[in-house]
Amino acid sequence: MNVSDLSRRNFLKTSSALGLGGLMAGTFVLRANAAPGVIDVIINSDTNILDFWTQVIKPGFEAANAGVTLNLVSSGGGAATDLLAERAFAALQTKTDPQVDFLEAYGPYHPADAISAGLWTDFPKAGLANYANINPVTVRNEWSLPYRGSQVVMFYNGDKIPNPPKSFPELIEWIKANPGEFAYARPDKGDSGACFIERALQEVTGKNPDLFKGDNYSESYAKPFYDKLWPLLKDIAPSLYKGGEYTAGNTPSIQLLASGAISMTIAWSDMALTAINEGVVPESTRLAQLGDLAFTGGFSTIVIPKSAANYALAVKLADFIISPEIQNKIVTGLGGFPSLKWDAMDPALAAKYAAAAPTSIPEFPGTWEPSLFDGWYREVAANLARD
Amino acid sequence: MASDLAPPPKTSKNPLGLLMIAAPVVLMGLFLLYPALRVVLRTFGAADGSPGFSLENYARFFNDSYSLNNLGITLWTTVVTLILLIVVNLPIALYLRFRKGRLATFIQALALFPMFVPGVIICYALIRYIGPNGLLQSLLEHVGITGYQTPIMTPWGPVIGLLWDAMPFTLLVLTAGLAGISNAAIEAAQDVGASRLRILWSIVLPQIRGSLVVCTSLNFLSLFGSVLQPYMLGPTSPELMGPFMLRTFSSVRDPLQAGTQATITFLICSVAGLLYILSMGNRRKAEKETVA
Repeated sequence: MNVSDLSRRNFLKTSSALGLGGLMAGTFVLRANAAPGVIDVIINSDTNILDFWTQVIKPGFEAANAGVTLNLVSSGGGAATDLLAERAFAALQTKTDPQVDFLEAYGPYHPADAISAGLWTDFPKAGLANYANINPVTVRNEWSLPYRGSQVVMFYNGDKIPNPPKSFPELIEWIKANPGEFAYARPDKGDSGACFIERALQEVTGKNPDLFKGDNYSESYAKPFYDKLWPLLKDIAPSLYKGGEYTAGNTPSIQLLASGAISMTIAWSDMALTAINEGVVPESTRLAQLGDLAFTGGFSTIVIPKSAANYALAVKLADFIISPEIQNKIVTGLGGFPSLKWDAMDPALAAKYAAAAPTSIPEFPGTWEPSLFDGWYREVAANLARD
Repeated sequence: MASDLAPPPKTSKNPLGLLMIAAPVVLMGLFLLYPALRVVLRTFGAADGSPGFSLENYARFFNDSYSLNNLGITLWTTVVTLILLIVVNLPIALYLRFRKGRLATFIQALALFPMFVPGVIICYALIRYIGPNGLLQSLLEHVGITGYQTPIMTPWGPVIGLLWDAMPFTLLVLTAGLAGISNAAIEAAQDVGASRLRILWSIVLPQIRGSLVVCTSLNFLSLFGSVLQPYMLGPTSPELMGPFMLRTFSSVRDPLQAGTQATITFLICSVAGLLYILSMGNRRKAEKETVA
């Protein structure tokens, strides 16, 4: 007993204390060589999306394509996937196998020169049968293919708040008028909190989302924007839960609301709906979106290296995930938004959801997030006035 | 700690023995030491990755008050938890050493219970119990005590979670150490009229010094590098080194600075490791002398 406890501790120590767990996952995640008929799919999203791939997309695609196997690998997100993209880029330059065929929830802007070097597949020209049905408002660029959308909402106690705020200034006003009743998540933990501070950033820079693009981040360009953001967030901090405490992620936010400790939080629409359906939160819990400029959310896109060993199969898989068959299941199974036009979808679903779904979901580019989140930790979270 | 008491193995050239340790040694070298060494070497290079020796990354860490604050709270959490671990577990271990019976067995089982519960479950249980509007608050309000402030999301949250998690290990080491004290010495002291406190101070504590060093140094390692409890139960900021390294690596996407933080953490932890090795060495030497 003693010995096994020690070895468990040693394992935890070495994998977490040295911070190598992530590095090793990034380095050793793939086999040495791509196998024919095995598509290496890197999943960058949360576990519910990995479940969807495992239970819906993988069996569907393998059944339709005999002899093909999807090798689904969860990258853990962030820097680990960056390393894979960097390796694919390096492999392109040495004309070798990138050892990855398909990156989920990833964009084409990393590494910086990848697009000009021709690393990523140009989807309008890739010959996808379903591409003509893609809803144009979901498309950001030709090197990434949108396949599912989600948005962030205000999630609140309907008994305490009969009339939720309708605009961002009204929300700020409400937060200040009700100290301790609002909490949002740390921006790097699950992204619902990120969407809140990103919406705040759009508010202080004149509600112009076009200022923030995937390829226009630089320290000097961002600084004046950030300098306007921090005072607003610091100003509301004393009125937040516990005088400026932030939850550890999407689920902790919902738990805090469920316990009645707060009256409002920020949550992903799909998680909020699931929480209501499963009775995790009281029945009086409601969702609301801002009327002036919606909270950011967005469409998750996939990218495919042109040099992928299983390129043809990867493109076929891309075509499959934007087929009406899978897109309908993204609505029914995931509570997400389809990237197809509604007239290409199941008419019953289209009738039920088309009116409720936003015509477009404001997006915030991931390339801005590392500096935004770290700045938030240093400028906003570190300045707690503790008693 | 039975293995420590075993006589030191004879030096032998048995190839079977070497073969048996070859696999773990190769695995450790390949998957742990080699990548770790690469990371450490890179942190002693320039911040932009250009070749050559430089302390730039370390200068960045030690000139950054935010990083230093995080290092400070990690030390605070580790030291406070270590002290509380001894304060809580030593009386239990003493009780178990000198009392036998059903109650003692029950208390031992209760104290070892956290070993069988995964840390993440403990964290969620603590959130539900001592968290905001949790069971404890409801119970207190039921008997008229209001104004309860939850320790969750304060620096005390991780201390409570880590205390829970490290308790069984600490208790096992301390009870093992206390088992080695002979009744004769204690009875002799009692016969000449020594008080209980005197016996504890002059007879018991000196004999379990080794156990205290072992559980303090090993606990130091796991506490200093902990991730789960500070992440789930602690405040947003300051961050403990564990979550801070993880965030620097995956969210800030700065593997080099994360590696620098990891190397600093490793160096601090190696002091505790050295203490452990020295105490083991002393014990071996003492045993040899007794045998001789």
